[in-house]
Amino acid sequence: MRKRTLARGLAGIWWVTLFFLYVPLFVIVLFSFNSANSTAVFENFSLVWYRRLFGNEQIIDAFGHSLVLAVSSSIVALVIGCLIGYGMYRHRHRKLGWLIVLIYLPIVLPDIVFGISEMAFFVQIHAWTGLLEPGLGTMIIAHVTFQIPFVALIVYSRFVGLDPTLFEAAKDLYASPVKRVVHFMVPTIKPALISAFFLSFTLSIDDFVISFFTAGPESATLPIYIWSAIKKGVTPEINAIATLMIGAVAIAAIFSMLFNRQGRR
Amino acid sequence: MSETMTADIADHPDARPAADERDRSNHKASSIEMQGLHKRFGRDTVALDGVDLNIRAGEFFTLLGPSGCGKTTLLRILAGLEEPDAGSLVVGGKDITEMPPHQRSVNTVFQSYALFPHLSVRENLAFGLKMRGMPAAKRHAKVDEIADFIKLGDLVDRHVDQLSGGQRQRIALARALICEPDVLLLDEPLSALDAGLRSQLQVELLRVQKRLGMTFVFVTHDQQEAMVMSDRIAVLNGGTIQQVGPPREVYERPVNAFVAHFMGHDNLYPISARQGDRLTTALGELTAEEAGDGELLLIRPETLDLLPGAVEGPNHLTATVTERLYRGSHAEFRLAIGDTTLQATVNNRGRHLPEVGETVTVAVAPEDLVTLSE
Repeated sequence: MRKRTLARGLAGIWWVTLFFLYVPLFVIVLFSFNSANSTAVFENFSLVWYRRLFGNEQIIDAFGHSLVLAVSSSIVALVIGCLIGYGMYRHRHRKLGWLIVLIYLPIVLPDIVFGISEMAFFVQIHAWTGLLEPGLGTMIIAHVTFQIPFVALIVYSRFVGLDPTLFEAAKDLYASPVKRVVHFMVPTIKPALISAFFLSFTLSIDDFVISFFTAGPESATLPIYIWSAIKKGVTPEINAIATLMIGAVAIAAIFSMLFNRQGRR
Repeated sequence: MSETMTADIADHPDARPAADERDRSNHKASSIEMQGLHKRFGRDTVALDGVDLNIRAGEFFTLLGPSGCGKTTLLRILAGLEEPDAGSLVVGGKDITEMPPHQRSVNTVFQSYALFPHLSVRENLAFGLKMRGMPAAKRHAKVDEIADFIKLGDLVDRHVDQLSGGQRQRIALARALICEPDVLLLDEPLSALDAGLRSQLQVELLRVQKRLGMTFVFVTHDQQEAMVMSDRIAVLNGGTIQQVGPPREVYERPVNAFVAHFMGHDNLYPISARQGDRLTTALGELTAEEAGDGELLLIRPETLDLLPGAVEGPNHLTATVTERLYRGSHAEFRLAIGDTTLQATVNNRGRHLPEVGETVTVAVAPEDLVTLSE
């Protein structure tokens, strides 16, 4: 009897958690299709806010910045993170604990600390050299730094899951170092690479704090735009943007999961 | 499915065109000369402590020993996956000590098979040829040819995930053979298989080797397997070679106690006194044909005759049966002679098999007695 009460209590926590997680999202999605300019009363289904959204040049620009930032930072992070992940695998028998902690530090560091320090750093560099003016370039660098650990971890765990004799089999079967990369390593970890790319992509699209501190006047991303627009109050237009972002991130996350699972088969 | 069906590769000589046969038997086999090979891992682990070994062209040669004896290290040095600290390796008259593995005409069948999970069976088979730059059409033909030779049947178009252990083993063998290497290395390729499939594949492997005339270097810790397969065996222990010879020589005339124990012999007795060929041990006095100067007497259980009762005679010992294990085709006896035990194996030819507690006479021929060193 008591066991059942406990089980019910735990199930209750589950439902409450889901309620607070997904009901707000559902409300935003719902009201993005509201015909009225209200976030409290739903009148009729309408796409008016989406039409408005696509007519707003600032939003289109912000959307473009977000996309360019996400894609380019993910590509750079993929290349560097992949090399780090392989290096960690290759030298896993050595004592590299402190080095790996250094790479993972950005994951646990508060975003605001990370963002402010990056900003201060870029400003200094800019003051001395004239390089690294705040803008998309600095944002890409900042995003790459926090994406790298995730890529490295995914690639590393894929390599660790492989039979180590596969590397020897490739050598034994006449594959030179370059051919081993092209014909063995990259195809073998391809699912992990795709998964890591989509994860980096969602992390970048998601990010507000670090982008906010490293952005320039002309490089506002969607989250930054929403933040500044919201100061005038939540409009259904914001709901529409949020809905599109939820969709984009969900799709990327699903791809990331699918490819990661395929790689572990 | 097709494990039993495809096992009999070499059973049907007319299954393949004659020209193909000529090509294969003409394949040049290479000899291997190893000299002074040393290898150590870290500061204290000596894997190889001065190995000199010559393997003849076209030989089925086995490296036999317990785990940690250095046999796998030696094989990895042959493959180029490990570099010796000292010594030289010559294959087919060419010094390849420093040559990286991807340039050596040596292929390996790995213990874990190491089939590439991202490739189909066909792509796995063609991998080595592709890396050497063979055009796709020719690769395809080669794969079909080897699939026919190893009787892979429809396995070629499957995915690696869908193969059983025996099928993987066969694909791994085909993937190495297709490159027509000077030397084929096999690292305990059958150890992951169950007993039935294992003995079946032993026969299969042996036939493939005889048919191709290729030099095979085979690593195992199983002395039965080594004896069935090999032209010659090298027994290793502690990074050194203990004995090299054909299976009968290694089994019947082991040079020392380690080899004798490893080949499965338990009847070893220190010689306390000797007069010519008359040797005194804890068992009593026995005459050997050629005693040699070893300190240990080896009596192989299967050379012993058991006569009922106490019978006087040359090389006769009186013993009591303390244990009898009936095995159908033969029976194994544990006998007590004073405080010393002796094991005997007797073929079951329908004669009387002594019972536990019975007094018997053990008779052994002088030519079956061998002495060896510690």
